Amino acid sequence: MSKKWYVLASLLIVLSMLLGACGTPPAATEAPKPTEAPVEPVVTEAPAEPVATEAPAEEPVDANSLPRNETLYFNGQQWGPVVGWNPYSSSNNNGLAIAQQDNARVTMFETPYLYNMLDGKVYPLLADGDYAWNDAQTEITFKLKAVAHWSDGTPVTADDVAYTWASHVKYNTSTGSGNKDYIETIEAVDAQTVVVKAKLDADGKAVNPLIVAAYLSSNYVIQKAWTETLEARSADATAFTADPAEDVVWSGPYYKFFTDDTKVVMIRDEKYWGQDASMWGKLPAPKYLAHVIFKDNAAGTTALQAGEVDVSQQFNSNVNDLWMKDNLPISTYLPEAPYQIGASLPTAFFNLKSYGLDQVAVRKAIAMAVDYPTIIANAMTNQSATFDQAPRSLMNPTAGEQALYDATAVADLQWAGNDIEGAKALLDEAGIVDTDNDGWREYNGQKLSYIATCPNGWSDWQAAIEVVAAAGKEIGIDITTNYPEWSVYQTVVTKSDAPLPEGYDIFMMWSDGAGPTQPWSRIRKMMSSEFVGMASNWNGNWGQYSNPAADELIKAIPTESDPAKLKEMYTELVKIYLTDVPSFTLMYRPQSFHTVNESVWTNFPHGEDGTNPPVPPLDLTDGWSIAGLYNLVLVNP
Amino acid sequence: MKHTIQQVFRSGKFVFGFAIFAAVLLIVIFYPLIITDGPLSIIGQGTFFPPGIYVNVYDSMSSTVYTLNLDDAAAKRIASKLNEDDRLALKEWLMAAGVSEAEIDTTDTQKLLDLWVNNYDSKKSIPGMTNAKRNYYVRLNTALKGLMATEGVTVSQFNLQTQTLEEVDAVEQSDFVNITEVANMRVLPLGTDNFGRDVLTELVAATAVSLKIGFVAGIIATLIGLTLGLLGGYVGGIVDDIIMFITNLFIVIPSFVLLILISFSIGQEQRGAVTIAVVIGFTSWVWTARAVRSQVISLRNRDHVNLSKLSGHSLVHIILSDILPYIASYVIMALILQISSGILAEASLSILGLGPRTTEVPTLGLMMNWAMIYQAQILGKWWAYLPVLVTIALITFSMNLMNTGLDQVFNPALRD
Repeated sequence: MSKKWYVLASLLIVLSMLLGACGTPPAATEAPKPTEAPVEPVVTEAPAEPVATEAPAEEPVDANSLPRNETLYFNGQQWGPVVGWNPYSSSNNNGLAIAQQDNARVTMFETPYLYNMLDGKVYPLLADGDYAWNDAQTEITFKLKAVAHWSDGTPVTADDVAYTWASHVKYNTSTGSGNKDYIETIEAVDAQTVVVKAKLDADGKAVNPLIVAAYLSSNYVIQKAWTETLEARSADATAFTADPAEDVVWSGPYYKFFTDDTKVVMIRDEKYWGQDASMWGKLPAPKYLAHVIFKDNAAGTTALQAGEVDVSQQFNSNVNDLWMKDNLPISTYLPEAPYQIGASLPTAFFNLKSYGLDQVAVRKAIAMAVDYPTIIANAMTNQSATFDQAPRSLMNPTAGEQALYDATAVADLQWAGNDIEGAKALLDEAGIVDTDNDGWREYNGQKLSYIATCPNGWSDWQAAIEVVAAAGKEIGIDITTNYPEWSVYQTVVTKSDAPLPEGYDIFMMWSDGAGPTQPWSRIRKMMSSEFVGMASNWNGNWGQYSNPAADELIKAIPTESDPAKLKEMYTELVKIYLTDVPSFTLMYRPQSFHTVNESVWTNFPHGEDGTNPPVPPLDLTDGWSIAGLYNLVLVNP
Repeated sequence: MKHTIQQVFRSGKFVFGFAIFAAVLLIVIFYPLIITDGPLSIIGQGTFFPPGIYVNVYDSMSSTVYTLNLDDAAAKRIASKLNEDDRLALKEWLMAAGVSEAEIDTTDTQKLLDLWVNNYDSKKSIPGMTNAKRNYYVRLNTALKGLMATEGVTVSQFNLQTQTLEEVDAVEQSDFVNITEVANMRVLPLGTDNFGRDVLTELVAATAVSLKIGFVAGIIATLIGLTLGLLGGYVGGIVDDIIMFITNLFIVIPSFVLLILISFSIGQEQRGAVTIAVVIGFTSWVWTARAVRSQVISLRNRDHVNLSKLSGHSLVHIILSDILPYIASYVIMALILQISSGILAEASLSILGLGPRTTEVPTLGLMMNWAMIYQAQILGKWWAYLPVLVTIALITFSMNLMNTGLDQVFNPALRD
């Protein structure tokens, strides 16, 4: 008997071990994904100081010998290792070299013109002189500088510009698909002259002249010969954009020196054409641009404090403590709050399909009750202009945009926030009251209960959402918070061809910053119904708002050139926006955070640096801000 | 029973641990009765106000004024705005601007200031001076304005009808108010956090939640462990094998990893404080089960158990009345340890952002999480995280101390 049991038991154990062994694989496959999230913050506990202090020791030999006096260190631009150097690709993850945007990053590749967000003008880079529209406003002509040449010594020609555009269209890159509805062709008239022909509508007028002109300052010129090499080795469009392009030819002042998963280094091109007197007249001051890849903001801040980072493009909370309390040689663009130039409008969108949120009164009441001064003081640690300084509209707080609408005409619509009584009165008036005395208001008998959300780990947004939720409680609307991971959040929010799911009643997203098509483009992305119905909508209007009057104005503005008329149209749009409240801005945020440590380099752009044209605080890499690289000097030469 | 309790309270370690724990418990119970503010109400506009007494400036102007003539008042006032480093910095700037070193006397405040006022120009560019340094001089210059003044300040009110400022009050340099007479003041013993919430109030509420989580988790873990241990140990045979097989499976998987996986897969919507407590409970029963089992095995063949068996008592009866009482002290000790590790587990989870989703109540881990997100540790805002750490340490320390005390009383090997 006992022997029988023994055999049975051993069999069972063997079986269970087998089962256990079989059971392991699912556990193993499951493990890596979720562990990812936990593993990260575990290390954060120890203030990540080791990362910063150890980093130099871990540098590989070739990049280890970077002389401090010739190197400009960044943070906040590069997270994770570089994927490639292909200017046709939009997934290079290459924060120092590639970003084709309103303020294009021009360290390695160059655009014909440079946009300056401070004065709203463009300045020629590869181009020679200003561009010119023809009388009918259907095509732009500009010339290229004869001295401009590629890294292989050959000149930059109009052919390169034309071929770049043709390739963008042919391989349907993001630049191609984003612009082909507005640009017909780009042609080379002669070696130096380029003509950009706009797409025309039924009346023979350009569909959108704003976007056509903006192309010139936001997209690189790429060498035709190299593009052909790339085409020869690429089987199809996917291979074309996926190529890491280690052999790419560039025209800019810096190129690849070293990359691995701890840092990226670019080295100055001593043969850079821009040292010609017709452009900068000299080479940029730092020989190396280096970016250590930090684990998180805290590690980046520690490195900035230690003087291991010169230019910081990340959110450093309570930045003024760095000089007021710690007496470090650190400064921001402006010496006092808001410290930075606000350019974009992080905004809370309402899901207009959520129960009760289709009522303007509910939306406006929530927006009126939110305590904005607290969001700005606490979540942004005062690194945002207040709504007293720049009352809410669709404009960013720069003087240029503020002048584009008539503030007095909409003054009675611009709520200041923290208006609990006003919000309650608004709801009472609309008949949305607490009918069953449970402390929460009902609309048609159903309790108003919402979830406010933003991605997990986005600290300033999370803190702002907490303040929104607190406001709901004050006026009898139950708002709770929820923070999904970004990977989940982005797929849900950008799906605009179906109503948003539960849990996304009030959610935060960004807006456009400063650029040559602003504020038009920002307003379009906040309000235009053209994005409703898109399966993958990375543009805007994620709350799926639709108003034909607004759509019409948004369509008309690009072709309007009379400033008085424009102002009227913008004012009307602001009026619609503040009346319908499809979303509400929570704070102003700079285009790039710009905090510098002057331990090694000095003469960074700042509010009173006296530069003309003014150098914007965009990390010395984007648009006209690259001019700042030529002004840098050493503190101790 | 009475004798046992007397014995337990004779252990110094237990009493000390119990005292700490009771103190924490009392604070958690009585503090909210005295300070009735919501633990999550945002009172401060700004982040990380340092600990201290905050006195309303507006109200203090209308309070009774007392004149105190203190000798060192002026010196203190000057020193608060112009310290030694500032004096040297003034000298540095003046020398860079061309004033000869002999002229500058950093010890004579009046002379130094005169020199400064006559020479300083914020627009003047000094070679080699950084922007940070120039900002510093601008700030210093503003702070120095009126430093040597001996007359008071006038308080005025704007009259809307006449559109002019009307003097309503004058504040002399020797004016004092008695803090107890000011209508509005607020003591923030631990300052505020990144949201502008009172850290102490939040801490007390968080401790209560954490204790609750600890208790729920501890009781669940102990119950599961106890049941499995008793069954496995007493019944033995195939039941024991199966139970031990499951237990061993759980032992080889690190329970914290399991905890992370489960919390992550639950999703944030469902993660309430109780859910987290249950999850913690269900992942940490393993060693209790093993320990109880081995204790039971040693009891199984005792005479009184055999007697009970012969008397025909049922399995449940034997386990409950002949085995359980003998390991009760041990189980209590295990429970205490489970509670303290439950609190720690919640804190660790919350620091990872996987803790309970709570907009009504804070937890200790969440407080740590936010302090870290807002870089309190880098900026030296110790009051945002240190009290939380100390609280966690105190709770777990007191429980471990009680446990050791109990051990001394009940473990024959340790008994004196």
